[in-house]
Amino acid sequence: MSWIDWLIVFAYLVYVVWDGVRRSKGTDEIEGYFLAHRSLPWWAVGLSVMATQMSAITLVGTTGQGATDGMRFVQFYFGLPIAMLILAVTLVPFFHKARVFTAYEYLEKRFDGRTRTLTSALFLLSRGMSVGVIVSAPAVIMSATLGLSFPLAVALIGAPAVVYTMFGGVQAVTWTDVKQMVLIIGGLGALLVVLLLGIPDDVGIGGALSVAGATGRLDTFDFSFSLNETYTFWSGLIGGTFLMLSYFGTDQSQVQRYLTARSIDEARSSLFISAYWKIPLQAMVLMIGVLVFVYYLFSAPPLLYNLEHAATVQAEAGSEYAALQQRYDDAFQARREAAIDLATARSAGDRALAERITAEFLAGNDELEAVRTDALELAGRTTGENPRDINYIIPAFVLSELPIIIPGLFIAAVLAAAMSSISSELNSLSTATVIDFYRRRFRPGESDAHYLRVSKVATGFWGVFACGVALYAVALGSLIEVVNRFGSFFYGSILGVFILAFVPFARGRGSFFGLFAGMGTVAAVSFFAPDVSFLWHNVIGAVVVVSVGALLSLNAPPDDGDRAAGSAAERAAA
Amino acid sequence: VKPHTKWLAVRVIAVQVITLVALWFLQSTYGAG
Repeated sequence: MSWIDWLIVFAYLVYVVWDGVRRSKGTDEIEGYFLAHRSLPWWAVGLSVMATQMSAITLVGTTGQGATDGMRFVQFYFGLPIAMLILAVTLVPFFHKARVFTAYEYLEKRFDGRTRTLTSALFLLSRGMSVGVIVSAPAVIMSATLGLSFPLAVALIGAPAVVYTMFGGVQAVTWTDVKQMVLIIGGLGALLVVLLLGIPDDVGIGGALSVAGATGRLDTFDFSFSLNETYTFWSGLIGGTFLMLSYFGTDQSQVQRYLTARSIDEARSSLFISAYWKIPLQAMVLMIGVLVFVYYLFSAPPLLYNLEHAATVQAEAGSEYAALQQRYDDAFQARREAAIDLATARSAGDRALAERITAEFLAGNDELEAVRTDALELAGRTTGENPRDINYIIPAFVLSELPIIIPGLFIAAVLAAAMSSISSELNSLSTATVIDFYRRRFRPGESDAHYLRVSKVATGFWGVFACGVALYAVALGSLIEVVNRFGSFFYGSILGVFILAFVPFARGRGSFFGLFAGMGTVAAVSFFAPDVSFLWHNVIGAVVVVSVGALLSLNAPPDDGDRAAGSAAERAAA
Repeated sequence: VKPHTKWLAVRVIAVQVITLVALWFLQSTYGAG
């Protein structure tokens, strides 16, 4: 990267820390620190919700997925708008009326203390781990592509987010999220424009889409019904709805965003921003990946996108690598010529010729993929590391192919995407630690100033913990799926407990043991039927918790939580 | 549910339908079939 690009990245880092820390002036009470006194406007909360969900993994991994696999990943999000609509009329008013700090605090009002403690502990466990992955994803890529040491990359991403979240609380999280979201959209938009302008004139956009489409990369919809497939219409619609209900409805990192809204209506409106824009935005991110694939049809792509691996393989297995490179260059030339012929035949409307060239083009593409598979296998053997390089495609493209300023903007956008997720998660981990454990179990009745001090320490602790996990998360494989898999073990079951809150006769005993039954069932399914997609784990977990919880509640005496608060579900529904 | 919320919900569904139709158009026009 040029010094101008580094300057952009540095300016972003300085600005975001300054902007976050200056928010600490207004956060002298615990309700201000965690909930901004429930005073934030819907659009800021809505952008914060989106920024929290859009991590660096989304930006880098999903674009890479678009380049290698095409548009079908967008089906994963088909349940999101439905989930948002359901949450807007159920849990959102619920939480706001209960005036809680955490989603799990509400469960004590409805059921009992042990259900709250268990769900909050599960949240801390799964989020604490996954925030480490969210730090490590961009750190791995930055260290390989920019030549930074890995611990330095972790510190560069983690430290600023920890500092501004620790001092500025939720105000800092939300307002930096807003600006980071603008930067992310700007970065993506710039990338899209550059890619569209980079399509060769004799190919054109239609020709480019034809060629990409011939490889199946524009096949978005798969209507087959299979529990083993994650990216199908039905998995996305049904499994995705349950996953998004769990994530946006019961995960403190998201619930806390809309708890800061001024009113129930503003909280609803904030969720509707995601409902509107998530699928179009995700489609755009994937399309960027598809266009990078198109770009590399006409310009020679690297054999290995992880440049660090490429250098190691060249040094240690030079002759083998050179032979693969020669095969790769030949295959690329053959595919390039076929791609140009195909685009020309399609735009001329010559279907018979286009069909014949399509076969030729696909054969060239298969040969290229075969050489890549051999090269990845060689990289794995030589480096002893996971050779998958999907997450490196876009950074390699941006840094080696795009003109000055765009790489700096892109790296700043990746940092923004990472920090906007990390800060929300640290803020929510601290909230759950202090509100659900420290204040509830260990030191009740202390002053507000005391809890505020402890909250800042807890934020700092989780920040250091996340960076520690990040240093060991590298070996965990595909970063996108790791984060989702972590959550899916608990997510569906925790959602089941919240659904159970709407069952008038449900009791604490049912929710507590139902939760164990749900998690046990999901664990059994993933052990005995490992082919079942993790998206369906959420459905299974939720259904088992509700069924077992309802059964165990039959004829059970009311518990303390019920007697203290009555059925909040019934009150909210009334 | 307030009329305002219902109206928002209708608009959310409309935006999704437009997006899905656009994706379907891409698939049916350029897809591998």
